[in-house]
Amino acid sequence: MAKEKLYPFHVTILTYMTQTGVVMLSLPRILAENFGYNGWMALIGLSGIAALNIFIISLVYRLGKGKSIFQIMEMSLPKFVLYPLYSFIACIWAVTGCIVAKNYVSIFQMISFNTTHVMLLKIMVDILVYFLVIKGIYNISKALTSFYWVTSWMYLILFFYFKDFEWARMTPFFFSGETHFVEGSMSVFTSFIGYELSLLLFPYVEKGKKFMRAVQIGNLLTTLTYIIICFICFGFYSFEQLKLMVYPMLDLLSYIKLPFIERIDNLLFAFFLFTTVSTIAMYIWASQEIVKRMIPKAKVKVIVILIIMAVFFIAWIPDTIPEIGEWLQYLGYTDTVIAFGLPLMLIAILLVNKRARQ
Amino acid sequence: MALSKSEDNMDNMKPTLQHTLEEFKDCADILHRTLPETGIDMVFFEHLVGSDQFTRDVAIPFMDANGDDVKRLLNRSQYEEMNTNKPFIKAILEGAVAIFHNDRSYVVYVSKPEARSIQQSETEAIITGPHDSFNEVAEINMSLIRRRVKSSHLKSILLEVGEVTKTRVYVLYLDDLANMEYVNELQSRIEKIEIDSVLDGNMLVQYIDDFPNSIFPLIPTTERVDAAVSRLVAGRIIVVVDGSPSVISAPASFFEFFSSPDDYYQRWMLGTATRLLRFIAFIITVTFTAMYVSVTTFHYEMIPEDLLLTLTESRSRVPFPPIYEALLLEATIELLREAGARLPTKIGQTIGIVGGIVIGQAAVQAGLTSNILIIAVASSAIASFVIPSYVMSASIRLIRFGLIILASVLGNLGLMMGIVMVIIHLAGLTSLKASYLTPIAPMNVKDWRDVFIRSPFAWLKERPSMSKSPNMRRNKMKQ
Repeated sequence: MAKEKLYPFHVTILTYMTQTGVVMLSLPRILAENFGYNGWMALIGLSGIAALNIFIISLVYRLGKGKSIFQIMEMSLPKFVLYPLYSFIACIWAVTGCIVAKNYVSIFQMISFNTTHVMLLKIMVDILVYFLVIKGIYNISKALTSFYWVTSWMYLILFFYFKDFEWARMTPFFFSGETHFVEGSMSVFTSFIGYELSLLLFPYVEKGKKFMRAVQIGNLLTTLTYIIICFICFGFYSFEQLKLMVYPMLDLLSYIKLPFIERIDNLLFAFFLFTTVSTIAMYIWASQEIVKRMIPKAKVKVIVILIIMAVFFIAWIPDTIPEIGEWLQYLGYTDTVIAFGLPLMLIAILLVNKRARQ
Repeated sequence: MALSKSEDNMDNMKPTLQHTLEEFKDCADILHRTLPETGIDMVFFEHLVGSDQFTRDVAIPFMDANGDDVKRLLNRSQYEEMNTNKPFIKAILEGAVAIFHNDRSYVVYVSKPEARSIQQSETEAIITGPHDSFNEVAEINMSLIRRRVKSSHLKSILLEVGEVTKTRVYVLYLDDLANMEYVNELQSRIEKIEIDSVLDGNMLVQYIDDFPNSIFPLIPTTERVDAAVSRLVAGRIIVVVDGSPSVISAPASFFEFFSSPDDYYQRWMLGTATRLLRFIAFIITVTFTAMYVSVTTFHYEMIPEDLLLTLTESRSRVPFPPIYEALLLEATIELLREAGARLPTKIGQTIGIVGGIVIGQAAVQAGLTSNILIIAVASSAIASFVIPSYVMSASIRLIRFGLIILASVLGNLGLMMGIVMVIIHLAGLTSLKASYLTPIAPMNVKDWRDVFIRSPFAWLKERPSMSKSPNMRRNKMKQ
């Protein structure tokens, strides 16, 4: 039977699930701190930058006629340049994945399991990630699509806040108050990171224009989700209150009360496991793809287990949640550089090759 | 079975009376009749042959015949001349009468299989709709299907499984609706089976499915004729196994196990409501008891104040942690279910009383479990019986135990980890190489109209995408 390909819908979901994650919890605060009143509007501009980056990636796809990025790079770069580059990117992506995991379990430990060792929780998450990644990208996409449907009902929760939402908190002032545009943009932009992994999907998708459009739609879906959540936070909390809350969205969740159940924040936060596992799995998968390219004979299962084990020990280093946050920040910056730098480099290689051939 | 070289040679030799009798030596039930006046020998198993038919069609004509008549009789098409031993012996075992005349050997089929009458299915009972179901004879089952599908496009392939039992297996498909890749795949998988016996359709399924180690059934079986036919018409492939009332249909998705023929015999809104109810039942079965354990072990804050009083009151007399309490009760329910399934109906009622009153009521009064847990366990047990496929509901019940244990270790996070693991497992599964999670992944919204809901017939214009049918259109009805 013909080998299955990733359909555009799956690419959209893959992008969305890789981008979103625990960062959603603190996003409203970061926006309030850095962009002042109506800071949520900044998301539109930042999403535009992400869209531009995706456009650059789509140029690579178009110029390279669907060739994988490895084939493009190996066309003109010698191995002694390529291998350190490969190793660097693989490391950054693998570490990003594992710190995202550590961040999630640390928050969970903080709210529910104060006495459990955080790395024990992390091992459990890693086991899930291992079983997901070894199944290959096609099955990952199937699992992520199912994850999406399992979590999609959570949008309905937003209706709970209608009653206490006040338009008056949406002041007529935009981006006023204490602002840090450059720093803020950089740190908020990291919440959009994740679409760059579409660079590795080239060999697995149905050929055609729909693929890159699907990535753009995924990014739009992420943007929309972020905007809705942040908009509600800005209208639900007062501006000063928002700046003081570490995880405004978590508090938003704990506000929900039903006749037979309340304080469902930890149950809902458990649902974030779906998007977190998706993000981690995609980054570990990406890292695995690169390692596999460097050592073609190695078995996927072995590579994945070694990557997960290696980064497990790195995840031991940052201890407190602020420390993890700092790590995520710097990893996010590096990812951003990769997200812009790698496709630009690939375009340059393709153009040089094209000219050389002419 | 390994054959010795001499046996192998014998298989290809011309059948003789002596060899045939030798072959069936020590079989007390073989019959050897001689008609010396015409020089005819007959060898057959009396209980495999329909005695009326034998007397009328074989015994009387040959007894009345003289030399020339015998030759004429044996030229008739129902008398099949055999030139090699192997098929000859097999024919006798299948209920044919072997006739030896002048060094030539013939077989004539006058078999009449013993069969249970056509009854209602006990495992797949429905309220409205046809009540007949398959029985244990493949040919009767085939006739039930053919009578419903009067089409020359209904093709059948006869295969044989089981080196000792030589069970007949028919692969049925509609040749312009089924995808031939599936047919060939299924056929080659059945041909590859090397085993001494296959006794039931549900057993055959485990030899041919893609992931024999998965907890989930990947290929459904049904005892209902209408269900089998509806799958056939949807472009699936049907396998009828002789000796088993369970008919296999492949490929299938996870969600197919949640639909029942009943859904189509009711008004569409009722059908939809029932189908949604089953999915809710699935969620209840999987999560209810685990949620109880998770909340009472880690997350008391989730219970509103008024309810908390009731819960703590009922929990206060229980000396165990919630996990023991839950496992104890879940195990009891499973015991009751299994006992109920094995016992004759008359004694089975006693189980209901013993289980319901004695264990349920007494366990609470003795302070072994809390009232609320009984409600949780009972409702998740009832919910599990709502799932129409018995095999699927059994699998789901087993998963529940895993989730209860995870919930007792890590609360809500553990529960969610369990669910993530189940979904990861499901995402990797395939049924006859087609994704098990269709139409969720790969996504096909059109299929949802006949998976999560049961839309009006006017909307069900296409066959399910999983069938990959060359002829997708099934309904030309206008809205």
